[in-house]
Amino acid sequence: MRIQEHPILSFERGEKVFFTYNGKKLEGYEGETIAAALHAAGIKVLSHSIEHLKPRGFYCAIGNCSSCFMEVNGEANVRVCVEPLKEGMVVNTQIGKGDLL
Amino acid sequence: MVLKCTGIPTNEDLERVFPSKERLEKGPIVVVECFQRIPCNPCHTACSKNAIKEFDDINNLPVVEEDVCNGCGLCVSKCPGLAIMVVDMTYSEKEAILKIPYEFLPLPEEGELVLGLDREGKAVDKVRVVKVLNTKAMDKTPVLFIAVKKEDIKRVRNIKLQEKEKKFQTACCSDLIEKNSKLSKDTVICRCSDVTLEQIRGLIKKGYTTFDEIKRISRVGMGPCQSRNCGQLVLREISQMTGTPISKLMLGTYRPTTKSIKLGEIAEAVDGGEHND
Repeated sequence: MRIQEHPILSFERGEKVFFTYNGKKLEGYEGETIAAALHAAGIKVLSHSIEHLKPRGFYCAIGNCSSCFMEVNGEANVRVCVEPLKEGMVVNTQIGKGDLL
Repeated sequence: MVLKCTGIPTNEDLERVFPSKERLEKGPIVVVECFQRIPCNPCHTACSKNAIKEFDDINNLPVVEEDVCNGCGLCVSKCPGLAIMVVDMTYSEKEAILKIPYEFLPLPEEGELVLGLDREGKAVDKVRVVKVLNTKAMDKTPVLFIAVKKEDIKRVRNIKLQEKEKKFQTACCSDLIEKNSKLSKDTVICRCSDVTLEQIRGLIKKGYTTFDEIKRISRVGMGPCQSRNCGQLVLREISQMTGTPISKLMLGTYRPTTKSIKLGEIAEAVDGGEHND
C-alpha cells in the first residue's frame, strides 16, 4: 500500500527502480525509502527481536526504534525506514545482530 | 478548566470570543477561537485590514477589531491551529454561512449535503456545502463555505462526509486498535529484548525502582533502539508503582549519540575524514 494523496504532504515520485529482496526482484520508486517500497510490495516483517526472534515491522518510520534493521548491499544494521532506495540494491533479511566487517 | 482538559471550549469560552449579536447582523466577521497563550501571530500578518492588531507580546491572544474586520477570511487558512472561522449572518433569512478550514480528504463537492458536527465531533444537523476554496496561497488548508441554520452557528464547527468515507480506510484496522488498546501482562515494553510489562512490574515490586537498575537486570534500553522506545514506558511504570512523579525520575546513564551511527563513521572522523564532517 502506498499513500497516493495526502491532505498536507505532497509526494515527488522518482523513476521506477528495481531492487532485490531476499533474492526476489521487486520494484519501487527512486526517492522513497526502502521500507516504503517493501511495504508497497506487501512485505510487513522487516526484522526480528534479539531475544525471542519475534517479528518486527514498520514501526516508528523515523529511524528511532531500530525495528527495521536489514542487510543492504552486504552492510548490516541499515535502518531501511530512512534509507533511500536506489537502483539495484540488494536487500536481505538480517539474521542475528549483524557482522561489523 | 474543561477546555484545558478536553480541548473543547464551553459555551462560556465561546461567548468570550464570539462577536456581539449586533455586529453579527451587520455582515461577515471572524471568530477566533484562540484560548491559549502561545508564541504565534500569522493571523495578524495575514490580515490586510489590520483588523487583528499587532501583538505587543507574541504570546498574547489575538484581538479582533470588530468594526474593521470585513470577514474576508484571509486568516482562516493561515491559522496553524485551524482556530479561525468566518460567520456571515446576512447570507439568507434562515441560513448563515460558516467559512471553516478543512484539512481532510476527500474534499466535499459544492452543493453537497454533509453532516454538521459540533466541537465535540457529535452530529448536529445536515448542512450544505456552498463553496470549496482551495487556492495555492492557502497552502493546503482549504476553506469550506457551509450553509447552516442561523440557530446553529455556535454549534456547528466541522463537517463529516458520510458515504465516501469508506474509500479512505487507514492501514490499520480500527477494531484491531480497539482490541489492543489496553495493556496486558504480555504487552511488550522493550521491543528489542522482548521484555514484557509483567516482567517490568515484577522487577519494580522486587525493589528495582530506578531505570538503571531495571536496565542492568533486564537489558531494557540496551538493544539497538537504546531506550528510545521503552524509556518513557518504564519510567511511567516506576512512577505509577512507587508514586514518584515522572518528572523526578531519571533515564539513567544516557550517553550520546542521539541517533545511532556506525563505528566506522567515528573512526573516519577521528582520522579527519571529510566524509562525515
